[in-house]
Amino acid sequence: MNGRVQRMSFQQFMELTTTLLPLLLVMAVDSTRTVAASSSNQQCGNSLQQTLKLTRLAQKESVLLIKTYAAQGEMSELFCKVSVNDVPDPNISGLEPSERIASIYTHLQAFMAHFKRVYEQQTDLQLPSSPLLGELTVVSARSRDLAALMNGFYQSLFPNLPMPEPAGGPTMLPPPQNVFQQKVYGCAVLRTYKEFLSNVARELRTLKGKVCRRRMETNTFLLRMT
Amino acid sequence: MTKSVRVLQLLLLSCFTSAPPAAAESGNHLVTAPHPPVVEIGTDFTATCMIINTAEVTADDLYWKRAQATVPKEQYTKINTTALNVTIHVSGERNEWLFCFCKNVSDNVILNQGKFMHGVLLQKGYRPRKPENISCIALQEETIISPIITCSWDAAGRQTKDVATNFKLIVKVINSIIVNVSTEGNSASVPLNTFPHCMELEIWVEAKNKLGTIQSERLRRDSGYFVKTDPPANIQIISEKSFPTSLLINWNLPIISLYVGLMYEIRFCQNGSHDWAYVPLVDTARNIQSFRLQNFRPDTVYVTQVRCKDHREDYGYWSEWTSNATERTPEDQPKGKPDLWRIVSESDVGERRVQFVCKDPVFANGRIIRFDMKVQEQKDKVKNTSWESFPVNRSDHSSSSTLKDVLLADQSALKVSVTAVNSVGSSAAASLFIPETAHELAPVRELRGGVHGGQMRLQWKPPNTAAVTEYVVQWVSGDGMDWQRENRSTTHTVIKGDLRKFVCYTVSVYPIYSGWTGQEATVQVFLEQSAPEEGPAVRLHRQPGRNEAELEWTEIPQSSRRGFITNYTIFYKSGGELHSVTVPSNTTSFTLRSLTGNTKYDTWIRASTAAGSAEGSRHSFTTLKYAPGEIELVVVGASLGFLFVVVMTMVICISKKETIKKNFWPQIPNPGESTIGYWSPDYPLKAETPKENCLSGISVLDVDMCDGKMVFDEDKTSLPLKKDKYLSEEHSSGIGGSSCMSSPRQSVSDSDEGGDPVDTTASTVQYSSVVASNGYKGQTPSSQAAIFSRSESTQPLLDCEENPDMLVQEGSRHQRRPADNDPAHFNQLLEMEQQEVLEPLDFCPLEEDSELTRTDEQSADWLPTAPASSYMPQLGGYKQQ
Repeated sequence: MNGRVQRMSFQQFMELTTTLLPLLLVMAVDSTRTVAASSSNQQCGNSLQQTLKLTRLAQKESVLLIKTYAAQGEMSELFCKVSVNDVPDPNISGLEPSERIASIYTHLQAFMAHFKRVYEQQTDLQLPSSPLLGELTVVSARSRDLAALMNGFYQSLFPNLPMPEPAGGPTMLPPPQNVFQQKVYGCAVLRTYKEFLSNVARELRTLKGKVCRRRMETNTFLLRMT
Repeated sequence: MTKSVRVLQLLLLSCFTSAPPAAAESGNHLVTAPHPPVVEIGTDFTATCMIINTAEVTADDLYWKRAQATVPKEQYTKINTTALNVTIHVSGERNEWLFCFCKNVSDNVILNQGKFMHGVLLQKGYRPRKPENISCIALQEETIISPIITCSWDAAGRQTKDVATNFKLIVKVINSIIVNVSTEGNSASVPLNTFPHCMELEIWVEAKNKLGTIQSERLRRDSGYFVKTDPPANIQIISEKSFPTSLLINWNLPIISLYVGLMYEIRFCQNGSHDWAYVPLVDTARNIQSFRLQNFRPDTVYVTQVRCKDHREDYGYWSEWTSNATERTPEDQPKGKPDLWRIVSESDVGERRVQFVCKDPVFANGRIIRFDMKVQEQKDKVKNTSWESFPVNRSDHSSSSTLKDVLLADQSALKVSVTAVNSVGSSAAASLFIPETAHELAPVRELRGGVHGGQMRLQWKPPNTAAVTEYVVQWVSGDGMDWQRENRSTTHTVIKGDLRKFVCYTVSVYPIYSGWTGQEATVQVFLEQSAPEEGPAVRLHRQPGRNEAELEWTEIPQSSRRGFITNYTIFYKSGGELHSVTVPSNTTSFTLRSLTGNTKYDTWIRASTAAGSAEGSRHSFTTLKYAPGEIELVVVGASLGFLFVVVMTMVICISKKETIKKNFWPQIPNPGESTIGYWSPDYPLKAETPKENCLSGISVLDVDMCDGKMVFDEDKTSLPLKKDKYLSEEHSSGIGGSSCMSSPRQSVSDSDEGGDPVDTTASTVQYSSVVASNGYKGQTPSSQAAIFSRSESTQPLLDCEENPDMLVQEGSRHQRRPADNDPAHFNQLLEMEQQEVLEPLDFCPLEEDSELTRTDEQSADWLPTAPASSYMPQLGGYKQQ
């Protein structure tokens, strides 16, 4: 009799254990993933903050560059009032954050090509010691860095989503131009770039509330599904 | 395992078999392999020597040499008959050769040794080690951060000269560019187009040499981590009158915040101090360009500095500190009371001279421009005295001001109140009471002073009597004076003044009883002692004696002592002998004894302190030959002796008067009383006549003397001659016959003086001689007439003979003078003298004995005392003649 009683107690203990163990495992994994999600969300915020900071710096430098550009000789301010078609659109396209981030990235790539062309043109128009050339180099390098940050940010947000190629193919640069056209083109590129950076900054502030919070929610949802 | 080694060796052999052509072309029969560019120190190296194109030698004939030493056979491995391996341990950093040789097994080998050898050059090195401790920095350049990133690291491991390690610094901007630069040193700078703000950098160093490559740990940081900006620009410090305890600092950003967000650190201290106080970092948060420093002391100069860095924790380097920004805080009303004290000195009897001095309050809060003072005698408490102002005109080095001198009677007490005034207001009043002299309260007990750790320390016990409220410690040196206050519980303190070394300070401690000053206790202390600046100048107090000399010296002036004089050492030296005597410090004179007479001594004095000694100037003196009074003693002694002799002589003379008289003046029988007077009945009257004329017979006495003298002189001859002479003289009373008083010289001078004409012709006067046939018979009454004969001799006459007139002058000049002028009378006298000479001849022998030792002078002196009485009768007899 004693042996029977002991066997029953053991069976009950085993049933209880098998019921509780999965629950404990789920709780442990959930807590771990919550911590991971929180850390990931913080990293998202930091990355976005860093990108936004660099955008503002680039914007500041572009403003200074435009001032420097406008200070090149008489009537220079008039060049910036002429409209040009061969420069990138300052507006960010796309509906989804991924699309908009990709749009920012491709715009930056396009602007880098235009900066290179402007630098080549201004090298012929300016003395080597001209501050304009130096500032152009800085703005171009900053654009490259910003593109790198956007790429990293995109990949951190959408690791399984490859960065789309530019919709219109490789960046179209204007054909050979005369000096006036070069002057007008250069100013148009800088002005458009500054406007684009304003849009980027605005977009990043928007994304801060959308992407990083949604990413946290998505992670939480995924954890609960498991 | 063994099989795999064999396979490897076969592979090497196959390689060699393909390589030999080169060796074969050169005619060598031995080939070594491999030939690595470098071998790693600390590892084993295996080489193979192979025989080619000959069967004359085998592997057994081969051997290896390394650095002139044959490698032991234990390290050989024979692969086959034509190949021999050797394994050596690579050690040492110098390159060396490993040769394969062949034994001299045949004449061909001996003749072609060059073909039977081959070598491997071993270039040695260390494998590179991982660089450590990488640190990078990007400095501010004008208004931006420089795009040049400079890094440094520690190169671990060792290198050899032939196998040097190169480093490559690699900077990667994440998701962007990668730049590198090579160097042989431990630092390098990587130039970028622009500093990658907000980007993440990955930096590492790659070390590479012939033995391999290795990378350091990768340093992955935000670019802000490496930034070092310039210090804040244009720092300004502002003093505001309405805030006497605070200063406002302003500065400009060294770089715009878009590049680097900055945080700041501020430090400050009082001017001249380097004890910096730091403002907590939480108070100097980011993005500020001004800060108000508070809780400063009014009217105090403060120095402030600011620096900055990236505002993120652990990001960036602190910039250098800005240059000093210096400003004085505004003045404020003085806080606390001025430090009032007095200096009491004696004046006239019954009075004290009290001088009041005052220091600024501890918190003057500005420059004290004047002190207001009120003096009130305790007797006149009711009397309302007015305040008196004393402008402060203080030199920089003086911390106190002299206010007023008061002559105070010993029986009077004063209360003095003082306030300090600056440009903002006045302080509270400080009071001091000067009690009556007789009522001064008890001093502190057992005051002791000393120096410890370069500080002057005092220790005392409180007075037994009333409760002390505080103490005043006063120190005086020369004309300098200062004081400090201590609270009531203090029993030991350190003097906080600016004390000088080698200066004697008179330190006094005054207990203060509710403002009333008590009696002082005083001690003298040196902060540090040294040898005296000069020694005492020694001199003689008085003339030195024969064996002693009293020295005296003056104390060294207080300013030159430089310590407490512990003793004086007196040195005195004569010749090479040096003596010294040490005397206490309170001595200023000393008598040197046991000196040698008539000796020159050099003396000097050395004054000693606890820290050294100094010698004074030297002084020389010579001791006397005779002690004072010694000569006088000898003279007095001699005089006394002489006097004694004289006195004794006189006493003897007096006591032996009769004996002397008997000896020198024997009793001469009076011829008058002689019975011979009755011999001749023809001369009864002649015998009586002298009796009648004895009182006036002075000239007769002279003649006797001459006779006596003559007898004396002639007594030197033989007695018979005397008798003859007497006999002859008896009859030579002619011209100057009996004169014997004068010397020949006198005779000459007398003649020179031009005496009588008779004298001038004396030498040429022919003597007349009386020749008697029977001397003594002449005494007998005889009627035989005298016979005169003229002498034909030209011999000069004796004085008395030459100058008969001199005899007259000396003896009876006055009586004889009338006869000088009368030749007739002169002849008569001659005849009389002849008779006179004859008469005393009987008595001359008696006189001769007594006059043998007499001088002429004595005889002259004694003439008056001569027994005139004995001659007198005789002379009287001549006079008659």
